[in-house]
Amino acid sequence: MLEARLDQAEILKKVVDAIKDLVQDCNFDCNDSGIALQAMDNSHVALVSMNLQADSFAPYRCDRNIALGVNLTSLTKVLRAAQNTDILTLRALDAPDSLNLVFESQDKDRISEYDLKLMDIDQEHLGIPETEYAATIKMPSVEFRRICTDLMALSESVTIEASKDGIKFTCSGDIGNGSVTLRQHTNVENEKENIEIELSEPVALTFSLKYLVNFCKAAGLSNTVTICLSNEVPLLVSYALTSKAGSNLRFYLAPKIGDDE
Amino acid sequence: MARTRAKGGAASTTSASKPPALTKKESRYTLPEEMANPPQLFILPKMASSESRVVTLHNPRWSKPTRYLVCPETGFYEFTRIAAPSSTPRSWLIDGARGVVKKGGEEDATDVLANTSEEFQTHITRDGEIFVATPYDPLFIVLPALASDSGKKRMFLSSDDHIDKLAETSPHLQQILRRGKTRPLIEARMAAVCDTVEAGDESMYRLNEAKLLEELLSKARRLSLPKSMEEKFVCKPLEAPVLMRRCQPQPAPSTTETSTEEGLDTPMTEKTESQASISSVSTSDSATTQASVSTAATTPSTEIPEEELITAAMTASPEVLSLQRLRVAFNFIASSYLPPPLAASLKTSLAAAADSKIDFAPLEEYLSKLTKLKQEVLASRAATDYSRKRGGLDDIEDERAEKRRKKEEEDKRKKAGESRGVKNLKKVNVSGMKKMSDFFKKKT
Repeated sequence: MLEARLDQAEILKKVVDAIKDLVQDCNFDCNDSGIALQAMDNSHVALVSMNLQADSFAPYRCDRNIALGVNLTSLTKVLRAAQNTDILTLRALDAPDSLNLVFESQDKDRISEYDLKLMDIDQEHLGIPETEYAATIKMPSVEFRRICTDLMALSESVTIEASKDGIKFTCSGDIGNGSVTLRQHTNVENEKENIEIELSEPVALTFSLKYLVNFCKAAGLSNTVTICLSNEVPLLVSYALTSKAGSNLRFYLAPKIGDDE
Repeated sequence: MARTRAKGGAASTTSASKPPALTKKESRYTLPEEMANPPQLFILPKMASSESRVVTLHNPRWSKPTRYLVCPETGFYEFTRIAAPSSTPRSWLIDGARGVVKKGGEEDATDVLANTSEEFQTHITRDGEIFVATPYDPLFIVLPALASDSGKKRMFLSSDDHIDKLAETSPHLQQILRRGKTRPLIEARMAAVCDTVEAGDESMYRLNEAKLLEELLSKARRLSLPKSMEEKFVCKPLEAPVLMRRCQPQPAPSTTETSTEEGLDTPMTEKTESQASISSVSTSDSATTQASVSTAATTPSTEIPEEELITAAMTASPEVLSLQRLRVAFNFIASSYLPPPLAASLKTSLAAAADSKIDFAPLEEYLSKLTKLKQEVLASRAATDYSRKRGGLDDIEDERAEKRRKKEEEDKRKKAGESRGVKNLKKVNVSGMKKMSDFFKKKT
């Protein structure tokens, strides 16, 4: 039996919104430590991993490990019925064939309940090791989204170059080329605007912009985004889901190697 | 009658469960806080003495600590939880005033209030559960110890040595052994399945699987299955497909070709084919009873009552039935009380006819006949299905169209579940990008 009550439906709504354009169906793996999700896109070059710790819910109860196989488009349809501020309760039996969702408005005068049919999804789980990245950049998530969308107008791919001068996003396409450079920046009044760069060695990698723009759909979840880069390993784009550590939404993307167009 | 008694929550039955104070103005409907240790209902056996204790022992089947009731006089009891399904929640209302737990005799109201920690308040339990204690063979508790070293040759060991092996997982066991008749009881049960040797004034035990098997079989024989289990596991698997023995005028009609030809030139096609015969037993002499179709009247009719024609192809003999019952009962015991490895080895030794005390051959024979029959029926039914639909002329084509249609439908359904973003990502050029599985290893 799973019973999880989320004070703000917003979190789940935005998570599902952010990943529904990347994966079609996926399993929500529920166990006593929380709800997790791991899925890859159709071409298996990107991976999304979500962790919602049990402490993000109040109360949280999960007696057995349950995998909730969900079609994300269908889940979006149901979640559209929830207001951002609604209290959301997820319920499922131990061997469920449907997921029960209840939305309560804050003043408790409206309760809506939905059952979503589940499906069996055969998914392989990849173990993601803890990695020491050569460069870790923390920046406002809106800023990152803007860079990606701006550059996508010119080209399919972007080269991210981290050096001690700062971090430089470059692209070149048929109509011309462009670049954006960010430097370490501390805003005393509004620390959300901070740009922090930690660098152990310079690194330059090329990525598909379509995927990055796709990741940026999660920008609404958190004010800041953390981008981690290292040679030969996938890029990590991470958004925090709650103020507590451990609950996050992470995207991994394989770098483009070789034939640069 | 069994006694009902409310237990638990003695220490924590504090003011938390008091009814809400009426002085509180803002809300009249505040509920009392939930108890940390709510009372639960138990049905205890009448035989169990007041010396009985609830202890935690290692459950041999699920290898996890489980609570048992142990009475020093009458033995072990296991708890079975009976609860309403979560779709229809129930609760118990436990009346504290007349509860058995009440200790003092006549107390006035102030006394009751003062004694709240002792006193049991009227209470509504959250889950309508009830725990029933039923007798349990302590043999199952010691079995893991007896069977522990299955790989090596088993040694004769004293009962203490055997029980010591359980000490780590069932720490309570040592204590209950010191009380009453528990130890002799366990030793007697061990003796039932072990070879014993007298060494001095002590008996040494070694597990004998043949004895164990016999013991379990005798348990299985005594087990009477509840009706729902009997139906599902005994009757259903032995049921044979029902056959309609009404036959068409000409012999061997079950192949598609003959029935097609027939179907094209006689007016009675529909009738005969809708009653598609499945077996061609006794075709030639038994006649049709289709009085309504005049063209068929040419055949001599030897009127057989219709009811008799519809029969099951084969019925299980009482012997087969009782064998199946025994097997189901044995499997039930094995899967709910024995450690899995032991259960598996016992099942194989039961199947091996040589050293088992019972011969399952008639059952096996019956079952293999049954599967064959089922396949035949399935095959002939498939054939008649096609001929029924379109005279069987283009059933291959039909099949293909059907497949295509199904595939299209599935594709459509898949597309519907695909968001625009996913569709767009399919167009992205992923050349030069490695798969995620090249970076991250599969979890096992």
